[in-house]
Amino acid sequence: MFDNYIGLCMRHPLQCIPVFITLIPLLILIKKEAYVIAPYLILLIFLITKLAIDLAMFHLAANRINNIILYNLSLPISYTLLAGMFIYKLDSGVLKRLVATSIVAFAIFSVWDMLNVNPQLEDNHHHAMVPYASTIQCILMLLWILLYFYELMKSMKVPNLFTSTFFWICCGLLLYYSSFVFIAPVLHYTEKWDNPLSIGFAANISYLFEIFYLIMMSIGLMNFQKHNYARH
Amino acid sequence: MQDIEELKFVLVIATLAMLLMAFFVISFVMLYQKKKFEAEKKLNEVEKGHNKRLLDTALDSEETERRRIAQDLHDDIGTMLSLTKLSLNQLNKIALESDSKERALIRKSQSLVEETILHVRRITRDLVPTTLERFGLSEAISEFINKLEADNQLKISFHSNADEFPRQQQKVELTLYRIMQELVNNAIKHAKCTFIEIELEVTTEFLFLRVTDNGIGFDAQQLKDSNMTGLGLLGIESRLAIINGIVRYVSPATGGSMAIAQIPVAPVTAGKPEPLHPYKRARIS
Repeated sequence: MFDNYIGLCMRHPLQCIPVFITLIPLLILIKKEAYVIAPYLILLIFLITKLAIDLAMFHLAANRINNIILYNLSLPISYTLLAGMFIYKLDSGVLKRLVATSIVAFAIFSVWDMLNVNPQLEDNHHHAMVPYASTIQCILMLLWILLYFYELMKSMKVPNLFTSTFFWICCGLLLYYSSFVFIAPVLHYTEKWDNPLSIGFAANISYLFEIFYLIMMSIGLMNFQKHNYARH
Repeated sequence: MQDIEELKFVLVIATLAMLLMAFFVISFVMLYQKKKFEAEKKLNEVEKGHNKRLLDTALDSEETERRRIAQDLHDDIGTMLSLTKLSLNQLNKIALESDSKERALIRKSQSLVEETILHVRRITRDLVPTTLERFGLSEAISEFINKLEADNQLKISFHSNADEFPRQQQKVELTLYRIMQELVNNAIKHAKCTFIEIELEVTTEFLFLRVTDNGIGFDAQQLKDSNMTGLGLLGIESRLAIINGIVRYVSPATGGSMAIAQIPVAPVTAGKPEPLHPYKRARIS
């Protein structure tokens, strides 16, 4: 069993690192007790869910079983949780409602996308990646991040951005989704069990930036000061 | 095969372009925010400086007006009263042989005029503390205390080490004197106290003025929060703000209240300070 895990780590180190790096922001978040604030409680749930799904995918990959169904299922969950943070962080009521609507719409769309591409769900061996949902998730997340930046500049409510936890998280996510937005649709054609196509290093860029965004998230959470959010 | 290579190339280029844009957005947000905060800080400083100058000018105008009134009182009314006193003296001599009823009337008028002259002198001194200019802060405070003790059933003690140090700038001395006046007057008017202690402590860095009374005491923060701060307390803070000073109000364990004004010692200017003498016309700058 462990030989399989070690073998996978040796063969695909870049793909395996983000699985375990998720532990860093998770532990910092718990240590700093950032979960007392609603958006970071959502972040805690996201990190726990991500870790659980990543570990399950890691286990399946190590045992040479198609794990794409887990990735497809993780899309609506991760979007719900990540976009959910913006409901608390955005100031505009219209934008909050838009984010909430997009969560419901995206969940429905991603399930439809998965069923559309994989009409026979019981055939796990040939389960394929969703062609549109990943890209739409990237675009939507980029949109909310940019709108948050716009509100941040307009309101001037954060005097020092370097000490702002959510700014670091947004920067990490912005870089990650920017790196993934063009690669995501291509993965539908390349990430298949019997696949002759390969896009080489381009497929690894998103893993690289996944590590990067988890590190940036950790830096942001390191800056979290519980007393700054104390209720008066 | 060539198509795959092209696809890889396009993907890498498009991803790099997106990443560049993301970096640009992050840098832009950070720079914009930094610049905007700097601009706001500068604006606040300009506004603060402007308010400080306005307040300074207002207080200068107040002092100038005090001097002008003191001068007018001394030159015009004082002179006229002196002349009236002289005339009454002469009239008294002429009326020496008259009956006692007229002499009594003249004497009454003489004593009234003398009393008025004394009042005018007192008002003139109150308006412009000439002792402050001539002999310094310690002497001016001592004189103020002596007058107060004579008029009220109040015990006031005063300790100072100011004489061991060189004189401070005229503005600093005048500000401290006015603050001391305000604090003592407040203690008399509101604190229902029987004893006031004034301390003037000069160190190499700061000047401390402590006014302690044994009255009913007050909570300065509560007054500020409830917007009940009178003009007196606001005036003290405004005067101190001009010379970069601060004031703290403490409630001693023994009861009453203590006000501590702290002012940084300003470098003494080489030039002679502008005199506060009431008989010199002040220049309005």
